[in-house]
Amino acid sequence: MLNLIKTVIHKLYILVLMAFTVWYGFFLYPVIFGHSADHSVEALVVESTERAGSFLDEAHLAEESMFDAALKEQGSTATTDLGYMVIEEQYVQGHFHHVGMKVESDDSNLCLRCHGAVPHDKAKSIRAFLNMHAFYVACETCHIQPKEDAEAWAFRWYDKAEGNIISNPPGLTSLDKSMYGNYGAKIAPGFLKSDGNFRFLNGAKERAFVAKYLKEKDVLSSTQQSKMKKIIHRNINDKPLLCDGCHTADKEKAYLPFVQLGYPNRRMHDLTSTEVVGMIEKYQEFYMPKFLLPGDGWHEETAEGEE
Amino acid sequence: MGLLVVNTVHRDMTRWHSANAFLGEKSKYALLLVLLVSVFCASFWSAPVQAEDELNCVLCHKFRGLSRIDEEGNFRLFYINENLFMKGPHKRINCMDCHRDIEKIPHDPAKKVNCTTECHLLEPSGKKKFSHKPVAKILEKSVHGRFDEDGKPKEYQEDYPTCKSCHEQPLYRPLSFFKGVSSGVSRRGLGRCKTCHQTGDFAEDFYNHVTSRLQKTRESKEIVEICAKCHEDPAFQKRHGLDNVVASYKDTYHYKAIRFGSDRTADCVDCHIVYGESVHSVESMDSPTSATYKANIAQTCRNAECHHEAGEGIASYRVHVDYNNKEKNPMEYYMLKFFSGLMAAVLYFFIVVIFLELLRRLFPNFSFNSAERSGHAVTKPTTEGGE
Repeated sequence: MLNLIKTVIHKLYILVLMAFTVWYGFFLYPVIFGHSADHSVEALVVESTERAGSFLDEAHLAEESMFDAALKEQGSTATTDLGYMVIEEQYVQGHFHHVGMKVESDDSNLCLRCHGAVPHDKAKSIRAFLNMHAFYVACETCHIQPKEDAEAWAFRWYDKAEGNIISNPPGLTSLDKSMYGNYGAKIAPGFLKSDGNFRFLNGAKERAFVAKYLKEKDVLSSTQQSKMKKIIHRNINDKPLLCDGCHTADKEKAYLPFVQLGYPNRRMHDLTSTEVVGMIEKYQEFYMPKFLLPGDGWHEETAEGEE
Repeated sequence: MGLLVVNTVHRDMTRWHSANAFLGEKSKYALLLVLLVSVFCASFWSAPVQAEDELNCVLCHKFRGLSRIDEEGNFRLFYINENLFMKGPHKRINCMDCHRDIEKIPHDPAKKVNCTTECHLLEPSGKKKFSHKPVAKILEKSVHGRFDEDGKPKEYQEDYPTCKSCHEQPLYRPLSFFKGVSSGVSRRGLGRCKTCHQTGDFAEDFYNHVTSRLQKTRESKEIVEICAKCHEDPAFQKRHGLDNVVASYKDTYHYKAIRFGSDRTADCVDCHIVYGESVHSVESMDSPTSATYKANIAQTCRNAECHHEAGEGIASYRVHVDYNNKEKNPMEYYMLKFFSGLMAAVLYFFIVVIFLELLRRLFPNFSFNSAERSGHAVTKPTTEGGE
């Protein structure tokens, strides 16, 4: 018996060595011939063309080139070594100021599957502000409000990675300004079920449905696709929540329950201070007198973002 | 930029609201205009040494998500990381020193910043307003300038770098010289400065600025990556008739050391800039005043910080060799082929021998001969009369 075990171990040992020898043969190939890779411009152009879809071809669509560049840029980071600290940050082409952080994408919000993370563009004067809010507020917070006679939504934070409900993010109370709005989480509306548990309006079931729709929509006729889009967007309000819905001097009337969502008094004061509230009033009055009119910029904003 | 005058306007707004009732529409606009202009002007006249966002732009720009997609489809991020902003020389200037077209709050899309604009800081040696104009002049005369010697625009204008092509917001890289050289600010060193220079952050800024300038602004690896942004692009190479100099450089010992973390070997800047000149003054290798002109190469390699004891022969070392270009580098091409073949023949011969040896150990009794496989002894036929 002992001899048998010894023999088996011996054979296994030999097999491992043989496997290593074969692997080593493959490993050596690029080591020996790696320098023979053609670095000439022509070869690289051909290689890039195959990879990126002939971007040197004049007939190539500019949109395609941009798409290729975007694919290449995915997840790009930049590193700056200051000696006493190393800054690892998201790479944003053409951005002069340091970002100083890597940004977590919202992989769970179903709206972003089609509309992207920077969806606001129409309302020229406030599009950047709206996109700023989209960084920590889910789309449905402003775009799906309860009907007039219905009960108000409850609000909770969800984590961007999984979409699960989480407790109020600690970044809210941080004194570090780089943490402002950068919580890895978003506020989203929902309601309390009969068993007392909270449920997001766009919860796991809705996310699964949209994922299924996107996967299989090409099976549908174009008419059926239009029908499904209408159904998916049926709860979207014609007029979204406006700035002064939350940024109001009367804290009690704010649409979002800042205290319940974990905002400390200091932050809550900032959001409802004369600085912000007054600015919004001025903004409406002097620079964009029409932007709050229903059916103008806001309406286009909503429609434009649709798939 | 952001809400430049919000803080100050805030104070005035309360008064403005109360005055509102007494004023007509025209007067209201006029009053606001006066307020904005006065605050705007005051921000310049005060000429602060330390900006610290006194105009409160970060009221909005502190939020990471402040962004949009512009008409060309580019992602425009308007976020300012204040912590990092305050770690560089630009901390001493106001947002509006660079973003000069912003005149109202909230503002319209800002124009591109002109880095040659004069800011409020006084350049100490000449007591003139500070500007990056001298750098721009050097750049224009270099191989990276947009105009040729006759002042005509070069072909493919969009390929020539602007400030932002190579530079993001500069950050200090301070050094401490107490108990050897180490990174960061020396509290002991700074303490000496602060004994006399007590006002504001003058001592800190001066210390940071000078010690940062005593070394390279960037790690060698970062420098290579910056040059590679353009020079590694095959389409760019084709447009300008250039070789893939990044790939050939990465084959050298210099880059291998940098790749493994060294900052002491030569990167692009070390060889392509005349020793002691501005890094913006890269010249073509065909220019007699270039660091890489044939007659100047030895001198470039033998600068005080590199191979200062080397002989003239060091100039024969060729950095950017494309071993696959038979026409340009026939000697190197065939040498590579020969040695690759030799190495492959030797190594794969022994790999095959080792593999066969292991195979024998795995099957010690294996034989293609059926008689040997079955274990029978093979006896040689004996000749008649033999033993």
